Amino acid sequence: MSDSVEHTFHTYRFPYGEVLPSLDELARYLHMDEDAEHPAYLYMKERLAELTSSDLEAVGGYAVGAIDGLDLQAGTLTVEGVTFGVGAQVCGYLKEATEAALFLCTAGPLFSDEAHELNAQGDFLEAYIIDAIGSLTVERAMDKIHKALEVEQAKRGMKITNRYSPGYCNWPLRDQRPLFDFVSENPTGIALSESCLMHPIKSVSGVIGIGVKARRRAYGCVICQNKTCIYRRLVQKN
Amino acid sequence: MNEILEKLFTCIEFGKINTASPYPPQMRGQEGAMELTKQALEAGIAPSEIMDSALIPAMTRVGQKFTEGQVFVPQMLLSAKAMNAALTHIKPFFLSGEVKRKGTFIIGTVFGDLHDIGKNLVCMMVEGAGWEVVDLGVDASAEKFLAALEEHPGAHIGLSALLTTTMTNMKTIIDKVHETHPEVKFIVGGAPVSAEFAQEIGADGYAADPQDDIKILENFLNA
Repeated sequence: MSDSVEHTFHTYRFPYGEVLPSLDELARYLHMDEDAEHPAYLYMKERLAELTSSDLEAVGGYAVGAIDGLDLQAGTLTVEGVTFGVGAQVCGYLKEATEAALFLCTAGPLFSDEAHELNAQGDFLEAYIIDAIGSLTVERAMDKIHKALEVEQAKRGMKITNRYSPGYCNWPLRDQRPLFDFVSENPTGIALSESCLMHPIKSVSGVIGIGVKARRRAYGCVICQNKTCIYRRLVQKN
Repeated sequence: MNEILEKLFTCIEFGKINTASPYPPQMRGQEGAMELTKQALEAGIAPSEIMDSALIPAMTRVGQKFTEGQVFVPQMLLSAKAMNAALTHIKPFFLSGEVKRKGTFIIGTVFGDLHDIGKNLVCMMVEGAGWEVVDLGVDASAEKFLAALEEHPGAHIGLSALLTTTMTNMKTIIDKVHETHPEVKFIVGGAPVSAEFAQEIGADGYAADPQDDIKILENFLNA
């Protein structure tokens, strides 16, 4: 791979008002939808209203490259000379893809900064809520980017897969490095720590496969083998 | 049980912090955990009795309800808030030695991982169960745990991880700590962790939720 290859980063910006969860969605996510008098519910309502009217935004996008190789046995994906150790599971999900979109998206530093401050003050409930709003916001922004990619690719007669991220499905976090190198210049402002964690914390990165025969699968719990995952428990309770 | 302690138990269980707290609605205008703890002390009830008969059992009840899916994280955090309000009156007695902690629990999210919600919940519940909790935060290295052990000899350690790719760092920490402190007991937890994994990496216990941590720590005490 030539490190000098520049991949165009398709940027999307969303004002918070477009990507924040609704009160109902947040309340359902936190299992607070049946108690509108609970301080947690009242705090959600108050913070969502404040955040909706802020001029902050989520930023993200993707860079697309051709897949040179997919080695199911080795669990590696090679995109224009850059090899990612995505693991056998993700390789399997990408096997119909001929191109890959490497994505980044962030909801910005506000959520984790505020949660950190609140935790330090001992306001754990409020910190938990802010953290949850940040998690849902970045996922909703990425949902929109995912959808935009799908629409763009459909114009070329291509389909896309689900999105997969380092840190999950045995894809090591250290692969954030080649991912960020591949994406290169981008306006998200996301930085990697020494241990390959993203800052701001409410950020996501990963890959989406593109191909004529690529397809989106039933999400999460259906394809994941992790029986103890907290998200599986949340889904079951819902 | 003494009437004040009974009321205090209810306040912790349902998250009634103080008189001004409007929640829960059926207790609006009534005294909360803050005032009742003060009253209990003024009535001559020993701080250890307040802990053992009201605060700890109430948090245990909350933990059980969480395990059974009757309440969720926000309710548990509100109870913890009420517990903290009560503890502001009890903490001086910890410092004076009049109320003894059950032991010390050092906890942190392992290096390479920044997720702290589960870990924070465990901190609150374990503290509520009468333990001193030393929270090393997130991205905690083996060196950080070793330094905390120097300050708190005899402590047990809790390790948390949310990612499949960082849970393996638990073993690195356990191995490194055991090199110089083979007696230290570890509890591991977090979404991708399992009892089998805990056993595989040499941990002494696997906690699926905060209540499990408390049960395992009690077992360590009785071992």
